[in-house]
Amino acid sequence: MSAFLRTLGVLLTSAVAVTACSSPDASPGGTGAAACAPSGGGPVNLAFTSWVPGIEEVVQAWNAKNPDIQVKVQTGPNGNGGTYQNFFNQLKAGNAPDLGQIEYDALPGFRVQDGLLDIGSCDIVAQAKDQFLPWTWDQVSLGDAKAAYGVPQDTGPMALFYRADLFEKAGIAIPATWQEYAAAAEKVKAAGGHITNFSQSDINQFAGLAWQAGGHWFGNDGQKWTVSLTDDKTTKVAQYWQDLIDRKLVSSVPPWTAEWDNAYNTDQAWTWVSAVWGANSIATGAPKTAGKWRVAPMPQWDAGQASAGNWGGSSTAVFKTSKHPYEAAKFALWLNTSDEALTLLNQKANLYPATKAGANLPALASGVAFYGDQKIYEVFAKASTQVPSGFTWGPAMTATYANASDGFKAAVSGKGTLTDALTGAQAFTVQTLKNQAIPVA
Amino acid sequence: MTQVATPPQAPESAARRNRRPTRYTRAIALFVAPFGVLFALFYLVPIVYAIVQSLYVVQRTGTYGPAREVFGGLAQYRLVFSDGPFWGSVGRMLAFGAVQVPVMLGLALALALLLDSGLVTGRRFFRLAFFVPYAVPGVVAAIMWGFLYSPNLSPLKPITSTVDLLSADTVLWSIANVVTWVYVGYNMLIIYSALMAIPTEMYEAAHLDGASRLRIAWSIKIPLVMPAIVLTTVFSIIGTLQLLAEPQVFRSFSSAVSSTYTPNMTVFSMSAIPNFNLAAAFSVVLALTTFVLSFAFLKTTQRRGMP
Repeated sequence: MSAFLRTLGVLLTSAVAVTACSSPDASPGGTGAAACAPSGGGPVNLAFTSWVPGIEEVVQAWNAKNPDIQVKVQTGPNGNGGTYQNFFNQLKAGNAPDLGQIEYDALPGFRVQDGLLDIGSCDIVAQAKDQFLPWTWDQVSLGDAKAAYGVPQDTGPMALFYRADLFEKAGIAIPATWQEYAAAAEKVKAAGGHITNFSQSDINQFAGLAWQAGGHWFGNDGQKWTVSLTDDKTTKVAQYWQDLIDRKLVSSVPPWTAEWDNAYNTDQAWTWVSAVWGANSIATGAPKTAGKWRVAPMPQWDAGQASAGNWGGSSTAVFKTSKHPYEAAKFALWLNTSDEALTLLNQKANLYPATKAGANLPALASGVAFYGDQKIYEVFAKASTQVPSGFTWGPAMTATYANASDGFKAAVSGKGTLTDALTGAQAFTVQTLKNQAIPVA
Repeated sequence: MTQVATPPQAPESAARRNRRPTRYTRAIALFVAPFGVLFALFYLVPIVYAIVQSLYVVQRTGTYGPAREVFGGLAQYRLVFSDGPFWGSVGRMLAFGAVQVPVMLGLALALALLLDSGLVTGRRFFRLAFFVPYAVPGVVAAIMWGFLYSPNLSPLKPITSTVDLLSADTVLWSIANVVTWVYVGYNMLIIYSALMAIPTEMYEAAHLDGASRLRIAWSIKIPLVMPAIVLTTVFSIIGTLQLLAEPQVFRSFSSAVSSTYTPNMTVFSMSAIPNFNLAAAFSVVLALTTFVLSFAFLKTTQRRGMP
């Protein structure tokens, strides 16, 4: 046995030596303006990964009209559910798709890992800039006015989804402030339900709640990152929800599971503070409740205030490894600015466009059957103008979310509090950045 | 292990003897090549790559500066050894293994002895029935049990509504139950085939000496299948430390399963950040820990004079 071990040891060490010698030098830094010109000669094939429901049909519409630029779409789980990890692995392996769906909160992370192509140098992209809501362009330019690390797709203004029938039957007024929401929670509990399910692993939902309250989680002055997951505003929001959890006024089943759908489908959860695309999640997860939901503005911290959070919103980014940046950018622009694509995306996935003109799409002016024909997009259109500006995302949100989510999960199962979880996530995020030599204050 | 006496070979001419080895080397190379290539590609190269990765650190300048990988010696390993949650998860898996492995192998041994005793009719049916869970992919098994444990979706609602099988205190043992369910039949089969290899003369001799069935099981069968039990224990120790699929699936059923619940999950979430260098260091340390534990177990059982 020891002879075998010795041989193995020798083999391994020599192999290490060989690999170490042959390992390529780090690629020279500096992204350099990538040439963004049409690739000549023959049709171009592009690979695109996305998790937007129904994206296949949208891409089909493009392929039918563009025989020279054929897009092959691949679907996967939502970003933090696995697709981002796939992207990072593919980037490391050098076989990433040409285009990928990346939420605004994940873009800085992909840029730090040097995975994105700056398509701001493409003239078609630069010309399209003015079509987008300015704050969405900020989310993809990442502090460099001339840059674009993706084309904004949709936004996630938040509002209050509620069960109109149950509230009416129990004689509870629709809460307009968070104080009223907590009071209503007691009455809902007395009526045998929960006002909502506290989504322990959706830290980006919690980020939306903190965003509404005026919290700021990250800063980037060009020299160093700052991390402030425990600022006063965020702590206030955490304490508010901890109180509801402590009094068992909210349920806490894991989100995006059959158990969770079941809670909404069987009248156990009465509201959901969610983004516009959440309209699709309720409709598919709780089909038995069709016609009973309505949408109202998000509860406010101070009566008379008008502030909304934002949860999600994606961009279509071009990966560094793409050989056809021009064609990729052309497709991304069509996908996110053309009336045809935006209408399809709205019909299939309830996406709310990031373009200025998108708000006037006929599809957004009509009532939605699942919501009793309420014109729900009017509520979200208003909310999208009430999202506080200047919220910056960190360069390793995967780590921040994973750690905070572990802490939130512990808190709902009775170990520690949400505030403890944020304190832990703060320390873990700083450590993660330091481990990767990302400068942090 | 057993020595097989080689039959005496016919004397060969010197000329033949000289030619033979060369012919054999080619044949050997031919037969070994498919294994050798796959073993190198999917076993040695990844291990070496992981070790190399774990020795590098990242450097960059500015908030969005591109990363440069430079040799960092054992810097990543310093982070591994100061990582509390990781060693916590190793401890959790040791507790898990200390309970689950004996329970599972005890059950496997009991079932194997029962099948071998001739007391049960329909032996072939039961042998297959016990083995069937192993044919269910681990992820599917975990999803199935996850639903059985879920407070509101379970068909066993009277039980799940009184005992929360997915709470922080119980979920580890709920997962242990899934792992046991999947692997009992597999381990039983290994022990059972060892039992089949015992020559029946030994039982006849024991019978003549007046030994009861229990006595035969205790004094003959168990000692003789000890090598199989040791083998299954080593497999189980390795499997325990590398647990990934079941707890990963349980994350969507229970809030008590964190992203660093088992050592392999730590590796997985570290590579999701993505911090591949640190993830590689975690995997190397995990592999070494598994290696040390397995060998420590083998050494102790051998020192005790077990076959």
